[in-house]
Amino acid sequence: MSEEANAERGPWALALRRFLRNRLAVAFLGVFILIVVFVLAAPLWADHVAHTGPNQEHTVDTVTVDGEKKDVVTPEGKPIGPQWFNAGGEFFLGADSRLGRDEMVRLMYGGRTSLLVGISAAVIATLLAVVLGLMAGYFGGWVDSVIARTLDTIWSLPVFLIGLSVGIALAVGGLKLGPLELSSGSLWNPILIISIFTVPYIARPIRGEVLSFSKKEFVEAAIAQGAGPLRVMFTEILPNLASTIIVFFTLMIANSMLFEAGLSFLGAGVQPPNSSWGTMITVGVDLLRIQPLLAIAPGFMIMLTVLALNIVGDALRDALDPRGKARMDAALQFEAQSGTVSEGKPALP
Amino acid sequence: MKKLGAVFAVLVLAAVAAVGLASCGSSSDDTSGGGGGGQKGGTLNGTYASFPDYMDPALSYTAEGWTAMADVYTPLLTYKHANGEEGSEVIPGLAKELPKISNGGKTYTLFLRPGLKYSDGTAVKASDFPFAVERMIELNSGGSPFYLSIEGAEKFAETKQGPIPGIKTDDKTGEIVINLEKPRGTFTNELGLMFVAPLPQDTPIEDLSADPPPGTGPYMITKSQPGKAWEYERNPYWAKANGKAMPDLPEGVVDSATMTVIRNPETQVDDIEQGTYDWMQNPPPSSRYAEVKENFEGTQFRVEPTISTYYFWMNSQEAPFDDVKVRQAVNYAIDAKALERIYAGQIAGTHQILPPGMPGYEQFDLYPTDKAKAKEMIKEANPSDMDITVWTDTESPNNEAGEYLNEVLKELGFNTTLKILNADNYFTVIGNATTPNLDAGWSDWFQDYPHPNDFFQPLLAGESILPTNNGNFAKFDDPAVNKKITELGEEQLGPEQEDAYKELDEEIMEQAPWAPYGTRTLSTFVADSIDLESVIFNPTFGHYLSSFEFK
Repeated sequence: MSEEANAERGPWALALRRFLRNRLAVAFLGVFILIVVFVLAAPLWADHVAHTGPNQEHTVDTVTVDGEKKDVVTPEGKPIGPQWFNAGGEFFLGADSRLGRDEMVRLMYGGRTSLLVGISAAVIATLLAVVLGLMAGYFGGWVDSVIARTLDTIWSLPVFLIGLSVGIALAVGGLKLGPLELSSGSLWNPILIISIFTVPYIARPIRGEVLSFSKKEFVEAAIAQGAGPLRVMFTEILPNLASTIIVFFTLMIANSMLFEAGLSFLGAGVQPPNSSWGTMITVGVDLLRIQPLLAIAPGFMIMLTVLALNIVGDALRDALDPRGKARMDAALQFEAQSGTVSEGKPALP
Repeated sequence: MKKLGAVFAVLVLAAVAAVGLASCGSSSDDTSGGGGGGQKGGTLNGTYASFPDYMDPALSYTAEGWTAMADVYTPLLTYKHANGEEGSEVIPGLAKELPKISNGGKTYTLFLRPGLKYSDGTAVKASDFPFAVERMIELNSGGSPFYLSIEGAEKFAETKQGPIPGIKTDDKTGEIVINLEKPRGTFTNELGLMFVAPLPQDTPIEDLSADPPPGTGPYMITKSQPGKAWEYERNPYWAKANGKAMPDLPEGVVDSATMTVIRNPETQVDDIEQGTYDWMQNPPPSSRYAEVKENFEGTQFRVEPTISTYYFWMNSQEAPFDDVKVRQAVNYAIDAKALERIYAGQIAGTHQILPPGMPGYEQFDLYPTDKAKAKEMIKEANPSDMDITVWTDTESPNNEAGEYLNEVLKELGFNTTLKILNADNYFTVIGNATTPNLDAGWSDWFQDYPHPNDFFQPLLAGESILPTNNGNFAKFDDPAVNKKITELGEEQLGPEQEDAYKELDEEIMEQAPWAPYGTRTLSTFVADSIDLESVIFNPTFGHYLSSFEFK
């Protein structure tokens, strides 16, 4: 294809074309879409196939398997194993614990929770990071110092341990901060913890890019034409950050999901009886010897989702900004030279 | 060929001899025989899932601690070294006989057996008893409340200035006279607890978990590494003195023992199965329980009944549980069978306060499971407040029991919030009156001693509602019930009192401050090398070290 034709397509069409050329990424995008469809179909499966809700207990109930009645939980406390379609789809993956809840239904609803927490935390973290990164990079001076030092402070903390402590505190007492009131079991607790503690991982590279862009001619031209700081930041610089934001956002979803799974596994994230893939692993570990699938199924779903998002994220970066890596390195070098932050490539938690 | 045959024969003989010699050795060092048909001597390697709260008799208030020290510190009275109900009998320990009770149940007179010695060789004196009581109170032990009815003990607890005037002793005759402020029917049982086991009077007034003080039992603790392990050896003065003075108490079979803390119960089970350890103090985890029971019951595993009640409490002072109908409805909705499964068969369903094995227990069930009736009763009660916070701890399967209650309340139409707290501070949080939304939750109670008052006074009497360390989680405060608990608590336990406790159990359950659901069973799980038959599990002290013997 000629250069002229490429130019006619525009940058987004070119990026799409580059992305579609990456077959692995397209395949994993398909996997991710399937996962989303899978979790969105939870109510349908629960109502029409499993005939039970995600938190509904069947400890003393029986299920008919191939015409024979079986205890969902035996008197010795052993939950029924996977029945696939032998019980008409009920207890497809077995019962989740001695409470006798349908594992498949909880896996689907748990996936909704995990994705919801992952996406929400990524959205909040990205929004905060963009605003902070723009302000720090554009204004410089004391604004930059305050924001950069705050981000450094958060970055220097053992994020998971702090998140765990805060998570446990919120899981017990909830949060009451002026008009903001969160109950102890609210999903917003893990969302807020994850988003706040992951802000630096996006804000710092964005700040570096803004520092780099703010010296460019198009920014100086806009300022010369009388554009105010807000207009320069949001109409001139922000569009140029789109590719970075999209890439980080995708990767941040995956990382937030892992963070949530870790917190929930340790009792500081999603609170029972609500399920998430993390809480399901916690329950499954207790029965690992007798029903290994209870821990393996949610673990596999986390792995698959995170893998898909990482591959798609990488492919997006390559597609949106083939020279992004070089520019990112340049931005970090610029940061280091300006003496405002320590050297080193930002790493996600 | 002939030569080869001879060499082969010699080799075979040598191998047989080697195998024979090897089989003579075992984890037991000494093979001199004796003691219930098993081998006398040897070192018992045991394992606990956690280190006792304290390795100091004045301070320990957990099953782990009491089991660890039962054969080290002998109180004036003790419990019969026997399984089941027989083990609830109070027998003389360091005292010659059971106390003479006079002055309307306010004076207890005992005599120390002569010739007793501590494991460091110090002679036991009658005045060591008041020293032990004062030391325990000075250390603010959790056991102090049992002894504050001794004349002057409350004042001593406030001022820490002794002596306690209510205890008079004569070291020459060994006489110990204890005067109480008012009669206390449980005091004989309380004298059988290790909190007040006599100690030498030069024992420091501090937590001695890392260097336990000398005792009078058949074993002594020779090394203690809090959090990790501890070791026992025979008390040299048992054979010389105490064993002769207390012939009705067992001398023990093994010569020494090492206890190691292994925090993962799965690993403990594997270790017992492989013979790496000889015994685990705690039961196998729920996930392995059925497997262990199926494979080893009768040979290496035995289910042990406990005198305990597992229950859900409901705050009877606040809506919606201030309405007895709502509380009764919850009792109807709770299915003990479901909870038996949740506890993997490790509880036996019950619907009353007193557990089997406790004097005064007689089975009844006022609330056979009936969810339809429960829903109907809630409809009739029409509670003003439908928001409930349900509390439980993180320990499995108590967390699942809490989830079960949460779901039952949801089914009854309530809006619920489940709070699962770390097991280490669960009771501190729910026992603090400033904690908000203490509506309903999980709890359990294991007897301190085999007296029914132990299930009513601390858990259901109005005066037990405290701002901190509250044990009456239901905040149940009924004047008629309070009066009965107080009156019965002052009487010595007899058939008439047992009947009264039966009635009290039913009377309280009619008001349903709790939804009791089961009595816990524990277990004995030993390696193949141990004689299961010989192991004694006492309802108060658990497994006696002195009862273990190698096959």
